[in-house]
Amino acid sequence: MTTKKTRLLIGAAAVAASAAIALSGCSGSGGKNSGAAGGTSTVTLFSGQVGNFTENFNPLSPTGSGLQPTNGVIYEPLFYYNKAKAGNPVPLLGTSFKWNGDGTELTVKVRQGVKWSDGKPETADDVVYSLNLVSNNPALNTSGQKWVAKKTDDSTVVIDFPATAFTLEPQVLGNEPIVPESIWKSIPDPTKTTNVKPVGTGPYMLKSFTPQSFVLEKNPNYWGKGDQAPKVDQVRYISLSNADAATSALQSGQVDYMGSFLPTLKQIMAQHKNLSYSNSPQATTALFTCSNPGLGCTGPQTDPAVRQAMYYAMDRTQLNNQAAAGFSTPASPALILNTVNKDQITNPDYLTVPQSADVAKAKSLLEADGWTLGSNGYYVKDGKELDLSINVVSGWTDYDTICTLLQGQFKRAGIKLSVNQVAQNAWTQAEVSGKYQMSLNSINMGPSSNPYFQYSQYLSSAATAKVGGSATTNVSRYSNPAVDAAIKTLASTNDKTKEQAAYKTIQDAIVKDMPYVPVYVNSALAEYNNSHATGWPSQDNQYAFPLPWGGNWGVGIVLKTIRPVGK
Amino acid sequence: MRFYLQKIGFYVVAIWAAITINFVIPRLMPGNPVDVIISKMGAAGQTVTPQTRHAIEVALGGGGGTWWQQYGDYIVNLLHGDLGTSLVDYPEKVSTVIGQALPWTIALVGLATVISFIIGVGLGMFAGWRRGSWLDNLIPVTTMFQAVPYFWLALILVLLLSRVVQWFPYAGGYDVATTAPGFSLQFIGSAVHYGFLPALTIVLSSIGGWMLGMRNMMVATLSEDYIVTAEAKGLRPSRVRMTYAARNAVLPSLSGFAISLGFVVAGSIVTEQVFSYPGVGQLLFAAVSNNDYALMQGVFLVISLSVLAANLVVDVLYGLIDPRTRAR
Repeated sequence: MTTKKTRLLIGAAAVAASAAIALSGCSGSGGKNSGAAGGTSTVTLFSGQVGNFTENFNPLSPTGSGLQPTNGVIYEPLFYYNKAKAGNPVPLLGTSFKWNGDGTELTVKVRQGVKWSDGKPETADDVVYSLNLVSNNPALNTSGQKWVAKKTDDSTVVIDFPATAFTLEPQVLGNEPIVPESIWKSIPDPTKTTNVKPVGTGPYMLKSFTPQSFVLEKNPNYWGKGDQAPKVDQVRYISLSNADAATSALQSGQVDYMGSFLPTLKQIMAQHKNLSYSNSPQATTALFTCSNPGLGCTGPQTDPAVRQAMYYAMDRTQLNNQAAAGFSTPASPALILNTVNKDQITNPDYLTVPQSADVAKAKSLLEADGWTLGSNGYYVKDGKELDLSINVVSGWTDYDTICTLLQGQFKRAGIKLSVNQVAQNAWTQAEVSGKYQMSLNSINMGPSSNPYFQYSQYLSSAATAKVGGSATTNVSRYSNPAVDAAIKTLASTNDKTKEQAAYKTIQDAIVKDMPYVPVYVNSALAEYNNSHATGWPSQDNQYAFPLPWGGNWGVGIVLKTIRPVGK
Repeated sequence: MRFYLQKIGFYVVAIWAAITINFVIPRLMPGNPVDVIISKMGAAGQTVTPQTRHAIEVALGGGGGTWWQQYGDYIVNLLHGDLGTSLVDYPEKVSTVIGQALPWTIALVGLATVISFIIGVGLGMFAGWRRGSWLDNLIPVTTMFQAVPYFWLALILVLLLSRVVQWFPYAGGYDVATTAPGFSLQFIGSAVHYGFLPALTIVLSSIGGWMLGMRNMMVATLSEDYIVTAEAKGLRPSRVRMTYAARNAVLPSLSGFAISLGFVVAGSIVTEQVFSYPGVGQLLFAAVSNNDYALMQGVFLVISLSVLAANLVVDVLYGLIDPRTRAR
């Protein structure tokens, strides 16, 4: 009995030892593997997915849990709205559209001869079905607006809105996937399906799936011909857990297309000539302030002079170099992009924020408002020190760096800043409930480059709530009747003169009130490897917004534009 | 019999407590999942209006009702084996999501724990048998590896073994470009190749504890009278070492081993993060950062049940290995 056990133990040790030898033996054979296998051309895409993929290709998922290629690569909308540059929408399943005078009726010409990836024809009926499906299902209808689509002939669909709806255009035409009626009418609850066998009209279709990686292949029935047709045979999606792994993958050629912020990007590009990148700044990083005492905000930041002082006290050149590795671009105090939205910025003074600190101006603004410099170097008013706190998500290293630098920069202007590094949940919760003084966040674009979306989301009274309630997006609690009226005008007209007047009202108000203190426009870097495929977007040619994030329709445009090397 | 009934009673109470704590803890965290989804949608350029919040609340359903109602639903669903629906991977079932990640973690962390135990205990046994020999010098080295912050050790190994000399891949569970999961030699070879580096870090960082514990127990056991008796009878040294000294000395390590097996399921969050390994650790990380209560509960439940199961197995096995524990 005992001897048997002895042998067992020794045996186990021997097995372990031999296993170790076998493992180390096999280690020598490990090497690089190329993205291409045999004669099929493949590009590998990293969408930022961490951990296992969960099989979900539901293009209608209201929580956005469909995998990256679902919207744009497998399913297509009627038109593509490129947020990376100003211009007309790109026709996809629609070919042209026209509004009636008061913006209540939208007539869309539908592309003919399109087939689903299973070979069946795609028709105007599918378009009508898809649009009405969203409008009639409260769980799918994230815009909250109703519309009725109907077919007037085989190539025309008319969409009726109950009220003026110019601003819904990019949502309806550019953000609603067209799905096959024959399949979706038998799905009882479109929010709860995972749609594991997606049938779409997009340039690629699903070939094989495992939780660690999946592969798309060219859709043989794709409507586009020539330049419009997909040219690379396969697209592989992989997951990686962190930026280090992504950097390694990019350098070793295991990833061809990704969209990660890599602080050492310039060195990587210098070392690897086959790599390229593009930067499509979109989101304006800003100090979000709980600005409105009328809705319950408290703290020194409720004083507009303090917000103005912070605006001038920032040394944005230092912030850009140290926090954004030099990749950010100057913001506009009008809170929209001075690149894409240049024409909508109504005053040349509003084009860019100051890039260096103007401490004297910051101090004079505070002193004019009744603040006096205390003995310890910080301003005091009514016996209270100018002491502000800012929330920032711990682990967002660029934002954490901004806050650390701002502490020093504000100190020179007599403003004390304390930084709270918190978890993302707590940070979101503080903003939504209004129980915060300042929070570092970004002003994001809407479904198109129309400034209406930034203004209505971040400034309108409709998108806010009292402190303690839940503010949807206007977390600064900014509320100004003139701005509300101007936003309403923007929603109800597409007359350029009226629009410009409304922009002017809004911009004059926010530059004065400064509920969000802009820092810079955050970089949005996409990296490409040109050794397996070429034709990627470049800095000067952003034919689509290139970041391969979930929900970005532009990825489909990028993937059908690139062509394999050597073919 | 009474001994086993008591044990079973204890485990029933322990499971109930684990389930209840599972339910309560995620709800004490700040934030709610709808806010998280909305802030992500905003960042991705989706239109977010007050109606969006409504749409998502309708879509996610649940979450409503008092805590007592939620607790009742939770227990009832649990009895049906339904762990709920994940929010991160909505509308996938939590059980499916965990099921995808679990085999990777069990294979990697489980094998690494077993290897580490066998090597550590083996080395400890010899070090105790020949105390004062060169093997004793190994102890400070192994404990140093244990003391070094784990992520740092892992990053250094990645730098050396997959960047400087490119022997091992730095990320993933297998080579996704050339093979697919299945019982093929190619896949298993690939999985072993990809798992070697993470396993190595786990082994290096845990071997010291086993070795030190075993060595010291060995030294204590060797001074027992029955060892002297065995030597006096003229038994072979190898027999004295194995069946007289080691068998007794390994007992405390064995119970520690069983407990650490229970924790295998929890994965090693840091290992899986550093190596992009597709296991439970990453899943838990994603669940926590997205306020995905259902997924968190599911993962915690699997962890607590496996720890309890490991304890039960030890309790039962210990009685078999060491008859003294059965007598009262």
